[in-house]
Amino acid sequence: MANGEATLARLWSWTRQAGEIDWDAAYAEALPRVYNFFRYRVGDGPLAEDLTSVTFEKAWRAREQYRRDRAAFGTWLFAVARNVAVDHFRSHRATVPLEEIEELPGGPTPEDIAVRRSDHERLGRLLARRSDREREFLALKYGSEFTNREIARMMGLSESNVGTILHRAVEALRADWDR
Amino acid sequence: MDDRMLDEYRREPDPRFASELRDRLRRLERRAFPSRRATRIFAAVAAAAAITVVFAVPSVRVSAQAVLDVFRVKRFAAVEFKESRRDLLASIDKERGFLVFDQQEKVLDPGPPTYVASREAATAKAGFEVSTPSFLPPGMAADSVFVQGEAAARMAVSESKLRSLLERLDLKDVTVPAGLDGHWVELRKPPVVMQRFKSERRRAMFLQAPSPEVTLPAGWNLTQLGEIGLRILGLDARAAKRIAKATDWRSTLLVPLPMNATSFRQVTVRGQSGLLIMTTGEPAADGKRHREKTILMWSAGDRIFFLQGDLDGKELVRMAESVS
Repeated sequence: MANGEATLARLWSWTRQAGEIDWDAAYAEALPRVYNFFRYRVGDGPLAEDLTSVTFEKAWRAREQYRRDRAAFGTWLFAVARNVAVDHFRSHRATVPLEEIEELPGGPTPEDIAVRRSDHERLGRLLARRSDREREFLALKYGSEFTNREIARMMGLSESNVGTILHRAVEALRADWDR
Repeated sequence: MDDRMLDEYRREPDPRFASELRDRLRRLERRAFPSRRATRIFAAVAAAAAITVVFAVPSVRVSAQAVLDVFRVKRFAAVEFKESRRDLLASIDKERGFLVFDQQEKVLDPGPPTYVASREAATAKAGFEVSTPSFLPPGMAADSVFVQGEAAARMAVSESKLRSLLERLDLKDVTVPAGLDGHWVELRKPPVVMQRFKSERRRAMFLQAPSPEVTLPAGWNLTQLGEIGLRILGLDARAAKRIAKATDWRSTLLVPLPMNATSFRQVTVRGQSGLLIMTTGEPAADGKRHREKTILMWSAGDRIFFLQGDLDGKELVRMAESVS
């Protein structure tokens, strides 16, 4: 029995945590968002999966640090993901291949798939040309489906700043596309 | 190129990758996860049991040879109190260690909870016949089983700490009877078995154990001590006196309501009284929604049960009713 188990404070800590995080559910909900965050940052293929794995494993090992009253779980998990991305880019500068676009989900005709695949490959290449910062904003917005307000909170910016940065990034992508 | 195309660039992770990663996390989980949760829950039960008796200040000094009183959990009752008081007590505990104890001896270490392959294996490891619900909500199935060993500890009550605590809480009208110092309160927490159930979207956790026991010198005025304890929790003098008188302090475990509790009520489970607590749960992964959680605790024979899940109250009670 750990020291202090028989004290009132330990009881408090339990009552605070009575509705503890359901990791299975959290995993199922967060995995696609984290995975796509990295896909928009580093492209398709094994690297996005590797960084996703690192994020979840770090988050799991550090889960004791998580406090519900400080931040919602999703925000905290993305703080871990962003740190993983920073570490990755710090040690792997200029190696951001976004060309490897694989097959798309079924449904459309083979012609549609070919066109879309081609479009997605092209989009991947264009994303790779954007700056790290722009890609991070695009990844949070389109990959992880955060709102501008949530991104603003995460990045310590105003919502209108975030809107401007995203607008410029999308415009730049569009210009590249039309070139 | 437009927003739609940027949206459509998203893709579901490869199912094999998702499954392999989940398995890796689950292996970490099996090493660590139950320890935190099971320990917390049953530490809480043991702690609450201790709290129930820790204020047992004898009206006359009890000799060391006195016959011992034993507290066992037979029923649960909820007690509401202010969040600010909860935080204050937690902060006091943090700054000076134990609130009302000055010594603690670990008699038996429970060791880490361990994953076992089946309910039968849990029965063999825990030393009691492990029950399980025969009813599960649609789609839900047994997932995993863990066992944590027995624990035992004893703590010496400190009269000066209690006085200091009362002073800090500005409870000037509460009298601390003499003769408290140095009396030992012993806690025994039997082995705990935890079973996890899950469906694609929902989860439930079922814990069971023989009742924890708290042993203390006979003759302590538990009603008086319970009243002091309730005052410390922040109840006013009149409410504390009324509840203390109405409570059987040798068998009732007071459960401070979780901060996220929205409601609670007494229910009947297999003819026994149980406590059902509804909570808002924790934030979902998107940080926006909360998964509502329901908690049910009850006892039967010498066993206590704790069932928690993102199920509604009726489903939880039906699961509990089917435990055999």
